[in-house]
Amino acid sequence: MPDGIAETSVGAGTAVASSPTSAETPPQREHIPGEVGIWLFVAGDLIVFAVFFIVIALGHVQQPEVFAQARASLDMWVGVLNTLLLLTGSWFVAMGVDKCRGTGRSVASHYFSLAILCGVAFAANKTFEWGDKISAGLSPATNDFYMYFFIFTGIHLFHVLVGIGVLLLVRSVSRRPVLTQRDIATMESGATFWHLVDLLWIVLFALFYLL
Amino acid sequence: MRAIDNDPLFRKSIVFCAWTGFACIFFFIIGGVILGGMLPPLFNSAEPAQEFVRKVNENAFALRLGSAFMVLSFAMFGTLGAGIAAQTRRIETNPMFSIMQAIFAAAAMTVGVLVAFVWGLAAFRPELYHPSIIVTWIDFAYFMALFSVPLFGGWCVIIALPVFWSEEGKEPFPRWVAYANLWAALLYVPGMLIIFFKDGPFSWHGIVALWIPYIAYFGWIAVMSYALLAAVKQPGDEPVMKPATA
Repeated sequence: MPDGIAETSVGAGTAVASSPTSAETPPQREHIPGEVGIWLFVAGDLIVFAVFFIVIALGHVQQPEVFAQARASLDMWVGVLNTLLLLTGSWFVAMGVDKCRGTGRSVASHYFSLAILCGVAFAANKTFEWGDKISAGLSPATNDFYMYFFIFTGIHLFHVLVGIGVLLLVRSVSRRPVLTQRDIATMESGATFWHLVDLLWIVLFALFYLL
Repeated sequence: MRAIDNDPLFRKSIVFCAWTGFACIFFFIIGGVILGGMLPPLFNSAEPAQEFVRKVNENAFALRLGSAFMVLSFAMFGTLGAGIAAQTRRIETNPMFSIMQAIFAAAAMTVGVLVAFVWGLAAFRPELYHPSIIVTWIDFAYFMALFSVPLFGGWCVIIALPVFWSEEGKEPFPRWVAYANLWAALLYVPGMLIIFFKDGPFSWHGIVALWIPYIAYFGWIAVMSYALLAAVKQPGDEPVMKPATA
């Protein structure tokens, strides 16, 4: 077991090596990160966002010209930058969790700090993009494309802000002198939420900027 | 610690509260879905006032009966909420979250009952009301139900927090229930969009602002009712009662 991790529950958390010669050792289960509840949350949020994606796609089918014209007025590179920020943030989060599970936990909180910075940069970039559009006279009332754009990216931005709060909690947990299996599960759950935020953005990016 | 088997009245009370949750869903299906036209929405936020009046006149009896079932349904927010607060109280040394939960449950019940009142009022004497009054009643009902995100969402958050913050093994509900509460709170948020839109998916008849929060809310009631039935079987932190003297 890595240093600084206290084993508090049997069968939970990271895999523990077992003797291959022991006939009584139960078969090792594949480790599922986080808790059952976070996967319930992820599945639920994916279902809801699937509804959002269908609404956007229906709008695209019903008003192809309006959507194509409005889409052309978006700056694709702003979307690319935001995608890179979230992907980089996800990498930092994965590295932070990995460091907490193994050795080198002293640097884990730095990775989480960098991920938080990526989230803040995403929010700032999104705010500038919205401000630019609004100052150009574009708003949710302009047409259905911009209505969906502002509302659905706004709901996603709300997820990002919640995710930043979750990462602050994860960073705080990572700084505890001793990590229990529950602490590890908490960090994995927080990381899973951040990856969900990332995944949702990638689909929104494709629907709004690329199609 | 006293096993819950030693307090049969408490166990029965919680089971009663949990079943009022299921009854709440049942009566809403009769009152709000089959009769009252709240979901799927009988009215369309973008249609002219005359159309509201026509629909109210054509469905007056169903709307009145529906509102009666809805008031019965929504009153049960209080009993379900009291059960949840009582279950949370079992793990608290000094009550705090259970008090907040009871306050939110009382407010949710009040708002819910008013939704049903207003729905019934729209069909009470539509022949006397100016058409804009009918529109206002229906707007008012949906605003109370959907725009109250901090109330219904906040209730979910203060149910989730004591679960996350409890010592391991002493949670009032399993942790997945806490995640389900946070998810429900998140799903209510699109309801606040109704103030900006009168047509489309974000208006009070739309899929995003109406259907998602409503399904999430009644799904949440089912989850919490089930969780209460399961949780009451677990031992709590109640003080040991002194044995009765002969």
